[in-house]
Parts: sequence; structure tokens; C-alpha cells
Amino acid sequence: MDWGKTKFFLGEVARNFTRNAAMQITAIGTVAVTIVLLGAFLFVRATLAGLGTDLLSQIEISVYTTNDATPKQIASLESALRADPRVASVEFIPKKQGLVEMKDRVKGEIDMSLLTENPLPDKLRVKVKAPETVAAVAASAQKMPGVANAVFGQDVVAKMLRLGSVLRGIGIGVIVVFVLVAGIIISNTIRLTVFARRREIAIMQLVGATNTYIRMPFICEGLLDGILGAGIALALLAIAKSTLWPRLLEALPGFSLANVRIDGTAMALELLLVGALVGAVASWISVGRYLRT
Amino acid sequence: MISLRNVSLAYPNGTRALDNVSLEIGKGEFVFLVGHSGTGKTSLLRLLYREMGPTSGDITVDGIRVDRLKHSRIPALRRHLGVVFQDYKLLADKTVWENVAFAMQVTGAHSRDVERQVPRALDLVGLAHKSRMYPGELSGGEQQRTAIARALVNNPKLLLCDEPTGNLDPTTTTEIMELLGRINIKGTTVVVATHNSAVVDRMRRRVVRMEDGRVVTDEERGYYYLGLGQDQILSG
Repeated sequence: MDWGKTKFFLGEVARNFTRNAAMQITAIGTVAVTIVLLGAFLFVRATLAGLGTDLLSQIEISVYTTNDATPKQIASLESALRADPRVASVEFIPKKQGLVEMKDRVKGEIDMSLLTENPLPDKLRVKVKAPETVAAVAASAQKMPGVANAVFGQDVVAKMLRLGSVLRGIGIGVIVVFVLVAGIIISNTIRLTVFARRREIAIMQLVGATNTYIRMPFICEGLLDGILGAGIALALLAIAKSTLWPRLLEALPGFSLANVRIDGTAMALELLLVGALVGAVASWISVGRYLRT
Repeated sequence: MISLRNVSLAYPNGTRALDNVSLEIGKGEFVFLVGHSGTGKTSLLRLLYREMGPTSGDITVDGIRVDRLKHSRIPALRRHLGVVFQDYKLLADKTVWENVAFAMQVTGAHSRDVERQVPRALDLVGLAHKSRMYPGELSGGEQQRTAIARALVNNPKLLLCDEPTGNLDPTTTTEIMELLGRINIKGTTVVVATHNSAVVDRMRRRVVRMEDGRVVTDEERGYYYLGLGQDQILSG
């Protein structure tokens, strides 16, 4: 390890970084704003996805038996459903309990006391592991002997699933746009610093420095812009999370955010990586343009 | 050391800078390249350090086929030669020492070698005592010495100078030329493009005269103006 060489290189990077302070601040600010928006977006997306999963996990299939189904038939139906690897749980609801539950649900709206006979069949309440499999599990239950009907909230599930895929699609688009904008601005900033140092670059080329060597300080500069910008953004996001998140919980009393899991560390690392990459790639491109001419 | 064969150079705008130039310069020679401005002296030097490629013809510098040189091999060529310009091309925010060291540092030299060779180069040009000063604090001659030290610090076999005394007064010009002469005696091939007739006439070295992109005369111990020398050899 040649410490003198390293010191020279780091000195050059530091000198250029501080010499073009105004430009660096522009670049860092741009990265910070972009990463804040990106982070906020990822956060909202994760929250919505969590809420969606939460709602979907409550979806259940009601498998109603035929009126002439024997207890033995129902028992074998229950074990058949349990054997299905997609099924999370199966609960037997006898018709009596079904009526109690129904009365409870419509209490105050419909007077059920006039009912002299229980019109409900026995049913099995089935919960699935993954929301996407609800339709398929219901369809296969429908075909089993002794089953009159297998129903679930078809509309809701379909809508939620579609919403999820649309969210993912928009997410990728938004991220690409953010990253591109940040990249273009950093690239322009670095081009200005490259221009400010064109004399130095000309001398480096004259004395036989390789293009890789000439590029390196600029790449470091871009990397530094990206990392610093992302760092500032992460600090802002952390503050926002600790102050705004509790208020969001208050504002949405009907929603349970308990199932919303956000891995803050992983997201922070991702954002930092995005910032660094954008900075490095953008400066690579802008120096490359200069070196080719 | 240098060999040009039927070299022509046309700029994209159609200007013909060099027209079928052939020239041989041996190891250890000291050669003046003279002629009015715009006759192709600078273009010829640029071809030698591969600032540009020729439109046609063969160029060899220190055994390297410069005309066919791949872009990625240009740095290797430049490390084998030093170039000095009229405007010195120094970095204003670096000291004399740093300007000279720069040429080694950016080509990946070990700091031990930098520490050893920079003082040696500064000694050679007589600037050891001003190594901590900035170019702005130096006279023109001292700035040019710094540039020469930078060109020499990597121990090149060839030194190319494009109007090295163009901005200097006669006394300083003489000093710089004497310095170039000393460098030549130590074994470095030196090529100086100039239109300073006094310098050329005093030094009495090989003079290659150019006109309209062509070599018109090549004299062993020439004068700036044609016909003054007794032992001139006309060529081409």
C-alpha cells in the first residue's frame, strides 16, 4: 500500500469537491429531494400493500353443505379440505351456530324472531394461506360431494388483487422517473465540474494519465454527491416517520396498521445504494462524453 | 527516434496542414523546426504526441507506430515523451513542486519515486529553491522551467517544444535554450518549433524549415534564414 499515492488521490477528490461547493450543493440537494420523494413513495406503497394483505387475509370461503349431507360426509369433506396445502384453516359451523351468527349480524335491521325454522345449511368456514388462491380453492370445494355452494367475496378479492398489481406497476414507473431525473441533474452538475477542470484534464492527458485514472476522481465525486444526498434524505425521512406516522394512525381509526411491516433498515440501505449508484453512473457518463472529444 | 514517411494531414474543414512530409530524426539529436506561423510546425508536433492522427502516411516515435496507435495506448506513448508549450500549461493552484509531481502522480508512480525524481528535475532546471512557490509568483522564464521540469520528470527520451520562448524576453529565451541544450547533452532528443531567428542562428543546430505544410530545407548546422549557412544540405 502506497500511502503517499492514496493521500494524493484523496486530496485531489477533496479539493475538487470543496472547490465547486455551490455545484456540489445543487447535486446533493437534488439527490436528497429525489430520495425523499422516492422514500415517501416506497413507504406509502408498503403501507397500502400491508393494508391490502391485511384485508385479503380476512377473506374466507363459506362452503355450504347440501341439506341431505350426512355427518360422515361432512367429516370427510372437512378432512379433504384440510388436506389441501393451500388451506390455512377449516372450521365447522353447524346450522344452529350459523343462525346465531346471522341474527347477530343483522340485529336491529331485520326481525328474525318470526323465523320458525332454521333455513341455513351446515357450513365449513375455510381460510386460505395466500389470497391469490381463494378462487381456485373455492372452485375445487364446489366440486366435492355434499357441497351445495362455495362462496367468497369474489368482487372484493378480484379488485384488491388488481389494485395490488397496478400499485406495483406504478411503483416501478415512478421509481424509474425519479432515478432518471436525479441522474440527469447530477450528470449536468458533474459536467460543469468537469468543464471547470478541463485544463487539468488536458494536462493529465498530455503527461499520459489513462482515461480510467482521469475519470476516477469524478466518479468519487458523483458517488459522494449521491451518498451525502441520500444521507440527508434518510435523516428527513426518519424525522417524518417518527412525527407523522403516529398521526396517520390516529387519522385512520378504522384501519389496522398492525400488519404493516416496513423494514426501515433495508429500505434505508436500498435508498443509499440508489443514491450512490445514480451519482456514480451519472458522472461516468458526463466525464466519458468529455474524454471522447 | 522519429520517422515520418509521406505524412499528410488535412483538417476536417479542408485545410491542408501537412503535405507529404518525410523526416528522420535520430536519437540524441537537437532539431529546430522553423517557418512562419501556420506552416505546419505545431501540426507536426501534435502528430508526434498523438494529439491527432495523420490523414495518410507512417509515423514512428521511439519504435511506436503512432499513426496506427489505438486510443487506449496513447497514455503509454505520452509517458515516453515530454511536451512543452508557449503558454506553460501549469496549474495555478499547485506549487512548483506539485506541478512537477503531478505528471508522475497521475500516471500512477510510486510516491517513493516521486520524492526522488521531482527534486532531481527541479535541480536540473535550477528551481529547487522555488519549489514551494505558485506559478503566479514566478517570472515567465521560471514558469517555463517548471513546465520543462514537469516534461522531464518521467525521464523521457524525447522532448517536444512548441514555441517554448514565445512569451519570453531575449535574455530569458537564451537561458531556456541553454537549458534545452544541456538536456540534449544528457541524451534526450529535443525538437523545438520556433520562429525566433536569433535563437536558431546562435545555436547552430539542425534546422528543418517548413513552408505551406512542406519541409523545404533540412540543414545540418543551419540558420533561421535560408542561405546564411555555409554547409547547408538542401533536401526534398
